[in-house]
Amino acid sequence: MSSTNPPAIALTGLRKTYGQVTAVDGIDLTIRQGEVVALLGPNGAGKSTTIDMILGLTTPDAGQARILGRTPTAAIHDGAIGAMLQNGTLLDDLTVAETVRLVASLHRTPLPVDHALRRAGAADLADRRANRLSGGQQQRVRFAIALVSDPDLLVLDEPTAAMDPATRRDFWKAMYEDTTRGRTVLFATHYLEEAEEYADRVILMNAGRIAADGTVAEVRAAAGGRTLRAAIPGARQDDLLALPAVTHATLRDDRAEITSADSDTTLRALLAHYPAARDIEIAAAGLETAFLNLTTATEATR
Amino acid sequence: MNLAYTRIELKRSLRNPRFMIFAFAFPVFLFLLQTNVFIHDGDPGKTTATAVIMVNMLAFGVFFAAMTNGGRLATERAAGWQRQLRLTPLTGRGYMLGKGLTGLLLGLPVLIAVPLIAALTSGVHLDPAAWTRIILGTWLGAVPFVLLGLLIGQLARPETLQPLNMGLSLVMGFLGGMWIPIDAMPDWMQGLAPVLPSYWLTQLGRGAVTGDLSQNLATTAAVLAAWTIALGALVIWRYRKDSSRS
Repeated sequence: MSSTNPPAIALTGLRKTYGQVTAVDGIDLTIRQGEVVALLGPNGAGKSTTIDMILGLTTPDAGQARILGRTPTAAIHDGAIGAMLQNGTLLDDLTVAETVRLVASLHRTPLPVDHALRRAGAADLADRRANRLSGGQQQRVRFAIALVSDPDLLVLDEPTAAMDPATRRDFWKAMYEDTTRGRTVLFATHYLEEAEEYADRVILMNAGRIAADGTVAEVRAAAGGRTLRAAIPGARQDDLLALPAVTHATLRDDRAEITSADSDTTLRALLAHYPAARDIEIAAAGLETAFLNLTTATEATR
Repeated sequence: MNLAYTRIELKRSLRNPRFMIFAFAFPVFLFLLQTNVFIHDGDPGKTTATAVIMVNMLAFGVFFAAMTNGGRLATERAAGWQRQLRLTPLTGRGYMLGKGLTGLLLGLPVLIAVPLIAALTSGVHLDPAAWTRIILGTWLGAVPFVLLGLLIGQLARPETLQPLNMGLSLVMGFLGGMWIPIDAMPDWMQGLAPVLPSYWLTQLGRGAVTGDLSQNLATTAAVLAAWTIALGALVIWRYRKDSSRS
């Protein structure tokens, strides 16, 4: 990637407030061309508002978004952005092929319609009406709509929300084949395993801010790495939380699950306090634990 | 405005059974019903009365096409389709102009079918100037109604759309002289009718058929132009308000 290329997405000081609620509270973010980035965060973290500002659907109160060196509106106008929005429905009175053709007819240099359908894995749906499609099928059609302008940047807001696991896998397979052509992809998701498996980079949002940003491994490490499970007779949650390096602890009956930034230290202290502890397991924290740690941590400091 | 896009938009309406029933089949049916039930072979003013009913049904046809067309704004907004379109080079202005254009074009099927039936089976014979005034006049007269349809589409939600359109159709249809010819109205209703734009829409064609209870063309055109300006201003105001909100 030559350094003269503008970033795919450059956000500076981005802020948006709805009444009393600050949806996005000052975001700076640069995504280079060709990156595949997952946007994570609990509901209300500001993911969709951020995406809306990237797409020019919402005007920021402060700061700015530049897409491939242009304003979002200019980038949309050039067909440089393809997007799958959340909660969008399709038109009931057109077939799938006609719907994609309608969108294609509005773009200056669209892909052939059957081409877009094939890439999105929706070729077999071409003659169907939208109201006869399952949730997963509708998502594939909306993916075809996002692809038909042959965009440089794909923005997907929870693209697999309505899909069963098998359809989800197929979707990402199609997605992956497509992005090997150097497209930039930003996707919001609730499925952490999707981020772990498909993203080069993970951005974790919480309360309108970026809580963590890096590769999956980096975000995991930032969240303080390991989960320790054990049966600990007579343990109390408060005491577990007081052990050194513990960031998170849950206790059900005698089964404890402890997240620790330094599992060696925690384990030594644990055994000193509770010699009866048994069935001890230590595992690298998944993204899910990282997610929980980082989002609860920022909530505590608010 | 581009051709492929407009063609697909038109196809959507023409495929919709509701649209075809109300904006096409219903005026045709009402024309046949009224001319066969209320007009008898021996009546002295038979041809004129038939032509008046034809004019009224043309007005109703373009009116209903305009309302149905505008209602799409509400359903497309609620379905998130407008947001989808904002991710294309189509501007909000282009979208509204496109909807306005389809609203006008969708009036054409009834404007062709009813006069054909009237001329071929109901014995309506008029000179070319009269036909031109009736068909072209009613078509151009549809402009303020297309705008009214768009305004309602901007304001209504899908759930409120149907009762709103139904209510407006009843008022415009019965009181404005589209469903009941003004000739059959009591005096007080005749006096009230000019308040409604649908009365003036029927007047556009009526003058080509009879001088009885007719307004002159210049007045009619002026009143409809005023409605066009007023409704157009409201549509633009609402459009600006909607687009500044995000």
